[in-house]
Amino acid sequence: MGSNKGVRNLFIFGSLFFFVILIVLTFDTLSKLPGRAPEITEDVNAGKMAWHKYDCIGCHTIFGNGSYFAPDLTKTTDKKPEAYLKRFLIDPKSVNPKASMPKLGIMPEEADQIIVFLKWIAKVDTNDWPPKPILAGAAGVGGRELTAGERLYQSSGCSECHMINGIGGTTAPDLTHIGNTRDKAWLFGHFKNPPAYTPDSAMPAVEASDGEIEQLTEYMLTLK
Amino acid sequence: MTIKYKSQKIAESFYTFSILLFLVQVLVGIIAAVQFIWPDILILNFNTIRTLHINALVVWLLAGMMGATYYVVPEESETETWSVPLAKLQFWATVLAVTAVIIGYIWMGLSPQANSLVLGTRLLNEGREYIEAPRWADILIVISVLLFLFNNFMTMLKTKKWTGIQGTLLGGLTVLALMYLPGMFYTKSMVEDQFWWWWVVHLWVEGAWEVIAGALLAFMLMKLVGVKREVVEKWMYVEVGLVLFTGILGLGHHYYWIGTPKYWLWVGGIFSSLEPIPLLIMVWDAFRTTREARVVTNKAGLYYTVAHAIFNFVGAGLWGVIHTLPQVNKWTHGTQITTAHGHLAFYGAYVLLVLSIIYVTLPALRGVKEFNSSRALQSFWWMTISMVFIVLTITGAGMVQTYMERLMGLDYVAVKSTYNLWFWIFRVIFGIGFLIGVAIFVKDYFKIGKEPVSAAERG
Repeated sequence: MGSNKGVRNLFIFGSLFFFVILIVLTFDTLSKLPGRAPEITEDVNAGKMAWHKYDCIGCHTIFGNGSYFAPDLTKTTDKKPEAYLKRFLIDPKSVNPKASMPKLGIMPEEADQIIVFLKWIAKVDTNDWPPKPILAGAAGVGGRELTAGERLYQSSGCSECHMINGIGGTTAPDLTHIGNTRDKAWLFGHFKNPPAYTPDSAMPAVEASDGEIEQLTEYMLTLK
Repeated sequence: MTIKYKSQKIAESFYTFSILLFLVQVLVGIIAAVQFIWPDILILNFNTIRTLHINALVVWLLAGMMGATYYVVPEESETETWSVPLAKLQFWATVLAVTAVIIGYIWMGLSPQANSLVLGTRLLNEGREYIEAPRWADILIVISVLLFLFNNFMTMLKTKKWTGIQGTLLGGLTVLALMYLPGMFYTKSMVEDQFWWWWVVHLWVEGAWEVIAGALLAFMLMKLVGVKREVVEKWMYVEVGLVLFTGILGLGHHYYWIGTPKYWLWVGGIFSSLEPIPLLIMVWDAFRTTREARVVTNKAGLYYTVAHAIFNFVGAGLWGVIHTLPQVNKWTHGTQITTAHGHLAFYGAYVLLVLSIIYVTLPALRGVKEFNSSRALQSFWWMTISMVFIVLTITGAGMVQTYMERLMGLDYVAVKSTYNLWFWIFRVIFGIGFLIGVAIFVKDYFKIGKEPVSAAERG
């Protein structure tokens, strides 16, 4: 069509122009990627292969991309203890009876590789994504100064797994009423050596001085 | 009304395959929705069901577009398709390959260890979202698409009538074939993996597919209301041009948070914010041309075509642009907001497109001038109202999730299993409404041209 030649050429050459810009940006991006992430070891790659083998993306997201059916795993290794993750990968319900994830037959060495892979993912520079939640991160909620025990609870990342009054993780027991069920001696001893009190516990020992652990225990006892 | 060229008949095989997969897609979609409430309801886990849901969608839309092409190219070139046996071979090869891939997904779902490593690639499922098809299937898909493109190019070469519509259509399909390649190699870096993966996904649905949609929209407007070719083609170039000018660099909105440099926040933010403009022009184009129409014989075809233009803009345009700026996307990325956008965008941009082209071309393929459009309209309203409510429930779930998980810091599982429960229940109910619409459509598809039309039913 003769009279449409101008607009047709604008379409073709305009599109080519933007595609060329994309190619240039692609080269630039690819050259910058190694500087934005740790080195990829054989274990990281083996973990990525296992990630694909079990179609993890079919439920989870990573960097926020995936299936939105299960939690995003970008920063998982920053939040959950490694021992917990390993046991969860091999048999989810053995460490978290309420877990929806099925037992996929992931082998122990594959679980280790997936954890190494997820640790690599957690160190990638994602332009600060995911953002830190505004409300849960705020210290001194409601204008009240936090007690020493509350501060230790927050700074140790306890809420990544435990929940108090609806805020926190669901992978470990809810602590909202823990003051009703446990006494001081049990809590104190448990913080220092969890498996001695709960056989098979995946919780790491709290790394703090005895004085601080006592303050944490006092805080737990107020939760009734 | 009958087809002008006997070989156009091959379109019907593709349409039939297409709508059967549509039915499968919606059935497994309802199962997936139920799994949000009861994850263990079926022996196949959510990942397998979701893979089937989305792969069925992609394949049925592609099959529909291929059928449309086998119809449009002979008509535009004014000659028979270059080789009907080749088209039939390509059709059956596609059906066989797709069936084999589906069996593989189910097998892997039942026994994950069967997804073994063969020649460095996974045998049954690549474990990459949307493009799960294993490498051997990728190669078969590429061969099938190349045969398809070759056949249609040869048809065009017979008469060398280089119309804008068929040029743009084949151009879009060629880019589609090329953009499958960046998904066909392994990278050790997950960042690079997602970088190239988005080339495939984004440059398909916000690039090549929109170009194909623009060309088919022009063809349908010309056939339905008899607008002059010169006018429709001029606006088609404007539309598909703006689609690519904004969409190619709009790719940047997927590169905010995956480990790629920060400048993508600017590139993606600016260009993807402009992406709704060409979609709005398509709406205006559809309304402007149909207003001029005096006599419309194919009421259903026109209805679906205009609805396609509107919901392409609302679903792909508006529901996309609301969370495309990095300042917003930082909070909404990876939540159900994306799922909501995905559902309305695919329904508006591509489901309604393929259903429109079927309604526009089917009367001629079946050799009838008129058909009773009441079932088509009934199906349209069942599907559209249900889809709008599905999207509203998922949008609501996404807003709750964004606020509670991202802003307040509540746990993902807590939000999903308690605060969002009612949204999941409503989604299943509207999903069943959508299935009713699809069932009416499928019945209509098989009945058109095969039952008498009374004078009262006409129109």
